[in-house]
Parts: sequence; C-alpha cells; structure tokens
Amino acid sequence: MSSAVLFVIVAALLFGIGVYGLIIAGHLLRKLFAINIMGNAIFILMVAASGPLDGKPDALPQALVLTGIVIAVSATAFALALMVRLYQLTGQASLHNNEGGDD
Amino acid sequence: MNLAVDSLIGLGLVALAWQAISGRSLFRGIVMFVVFGLTMALAWARMGAPDLALAEAAIGAGVTGALMLVALRRLVQLHPDQPAEPKRARSRLALPIALLAASLVAVIGLGAVSVDREPGRAGVAVMDNLAETGLSNPITGVLLVFRNLDTLLEVAVLLAAFLAALAVFRDQEQAPAPPRGDLPLVGALLAIIVPLTILVSVHLLLAGSHEPGGAFQAGAVLAAGGVLLILAGRLQPASGMPLATALPLVLGLLVFSVIGLAMMLTGAPLLALPGLWAVYLIEAAMMISIALTLVLLFAGASGLRRERP
Repeated sequence: MSSAVLFVIVAALLFGIGVYGLIIAGHLLRKLFAINIMGNAIFILMVAASGPLDGKPDALPQALVLTGIVIAVSATAFALALMVRLYQLTGQASLHNNEGGDD
Repeated sequence: MNLAVDSLIGLGLVALAWQAISGRSLFRGIVMFVVFGLTMALAWARMGAPDLALAEAAIGAGVTGALMLVALRRLVQLHPDQPAEPKRARSRLALPIALLAASLVAVIGLGAVSVDREPGRAGVAVMDNLAETGLSNPITGVLLVFRNLDTLLEVAVLLAAFLAALAVFRDQEQAPAPPRGDLPLVGALLAIIVPLTILVSVHLLLAGSHEPGGAFQAGAVLAAGGVLLILAGRLQPASGMPLATALPLVLGLLVFSVIGLAMMLTGAPLLALPGLWAVYLIEAAMMISIALTLVLLFAGASGLRRERP
C-alpha cells in the first residue's frame, strides 16, 4: 500500500466522521468542527490523489487547496458570528426548536 | 518505515477528529480541533506540501482555533449559568449516511490514484512555464500568475466574510474588554514577540517566491501578533471604521485589481502582471489586508484603538 492510498483512506474516514458529526451534533460549534473536518478530508483527497509529478508533488492541487484553506477560515469566521448572534437572540446555539428534539 | 509514520499521522487525524466531534466539553472539542489542525500540518509535510503545512499551522489551526475560542467565550459571557451544550440529535440514519459518504470519498480517491496521468495536464504546464514568471516556487506561480483570478476573489471572499460578520455584530454592544496586561512580564514579552512576528511574516512573504511561504501564511503570522496585542489589552476593539483602518483592509484587493486592470489598457489580458515587482507588491498588500481582516474578526469589531499600558 502506498502513502497516497493510505491518505485517501484517511480522507474517507475523516469525511465519514465529519458527516456523522454534522448530523448528530447538537451544538452549532460542533457542527462547525464537523464541516471543517469534512473540508480537510477533501483537501487531503485532492493532494493525495493528484499524485506526484516527476518525483515532486503537483503544484496545482496544492495551490487550489491553499485557496480552499483561506475560504474555509472565512466561512468559519462568518458562521461563528452567526452562531453568537443566534445565541444572543434565542438563548441557544443549536438548530433544534426545543432541546433534545429530533430534527 | 515511511508508511509507518504516515499510518501514525493518519490514525492520529482520525482519532482527533472523532474526539473533536464527540469529546466531553466544547472547550475540549476546540482544543482537539486545534491539535487536529497541527496534525494536518504534519500530514501535509509528509505529503510533500510544505506550503500547505505552513498555511494549515498558521491559518487552519491557529486562526480558526483562536476564532472558535473567542466565539465560545462570547457564548459563555452572554449566559454564564446556562448548560453549555444541547443534547445530541438521535438519528438512525446518521451512521449509514456517514458510511456511504466515506465510501464515496474512498471510491473517488482510489479511482483517481489508479488512473494513468495525462501527459499534458495542468500541473505539467505549470512547471514548463514557471521559468517565464521569474518565480521558482510553483505554488506562488499558480496563485499569483497562472490562476490569479482565484487569488483575487479569495481575498474578496475574506473581505466579504468580515463585512458580513460585522453586519451580524452591528447592533451589538462591544464585548467587555479583556483584562489589561498589568503583569510586569507581559510588556517585556510583547516587546520581543511582536517584532518577531513581523520579522517572520516579512520573511515568509519574501521567501514565497522561491521556497515555501507566501502572502497568506505571512498574513496569518502577522495576525497572530495582532491577536496577542488584543489579548494583552494593548489594542482594544473600537466602533467606527476610520480611513486608517478601512484603507489597509481593502489594500490587497485594491492594488491587485488596479495593477491587473491597468495592464488591460496596454492590451494585455485581464490580470496579466507586468513583472516580478508587481507580484511582490501585490503579496505585500495582500499580507496587510489579510492580517488586519483576521485581527478584526478576532476582535469582533470594525476598528481598533491603541491603549497605553
């Protein structure tokens, strides 16, 4: 098994954990962890699956992922601001109408 | 041997991600998430992507972690006595959906790994044309020359996210100022660390043309210095946005678009850059904008004012 295959499997596991966390998380902060983990999984996938180029890693996916990291932190910052505002207005930082309810 | 190291890092990533999702307290979750980011940096280094390792350590782990911690503090300040975390949702579908999603990613990834490479793919074209740009770091070449529209819009997205966050916070009273750094060591420590962050960020900026580094990593390191000044109470959040704040905030976008559009007058295509000096100029402007945006996002305010200890 090569390192590329290993990191693809790690990316798949991380994505699965992210999706699971996104569904079950009660607190919005946890959902943000989950979304960021999913994003990181895709970043790993892009770099690992693009494969090396004459022994050196391909620069193009790396540049795209670098852009992606900055976009992810921008989106997270905005989401955190929305979460704080929601908490301020409703007193809870979750998307449930009543505590512990399903959907 | 290499595979063993990679497996350890991979195992660590999966375990930390799980801890962040399901750990006991939210604070613990944030800590796990930051450690996850740092482990990601290790993974990037192992994958031969030091630029991404730097960006992940500074932006992914550092800035995101700081923003999450300050958001959590605001939540606790708003309702100190409330139980911090609502119950988890119970869903029978969560596990099957997660497994399906994971297998989808695995199939795409394993398929992509096993595909034969096209000889004329974009990555090869980058390496072939890199010498013309005068840069020797191919990633900076892609970001600033070959696909610089992406980078321009990325800076615009960061600015848009900040303005949107500002709009959400607009009618909110200022968060109480953090405790002033009255300890005798704080001043001395800041006097060393803050100049050091400036030095490191300028180095990262200049290094970006030929080795790992660049405007984003440099901006994030510079922002760390600003965050430190806020934490120590030397900079305080302020309302209103003076020109001295607004101008650096849009400087990166402004310099980038002005140079890119001015070149169109000479008949060059959109965002074609006149030379290496333009790359450095744009990167320096972007670094200042990125750092200020991140610091203001941390402060949750539209401006900053200095506070003499």
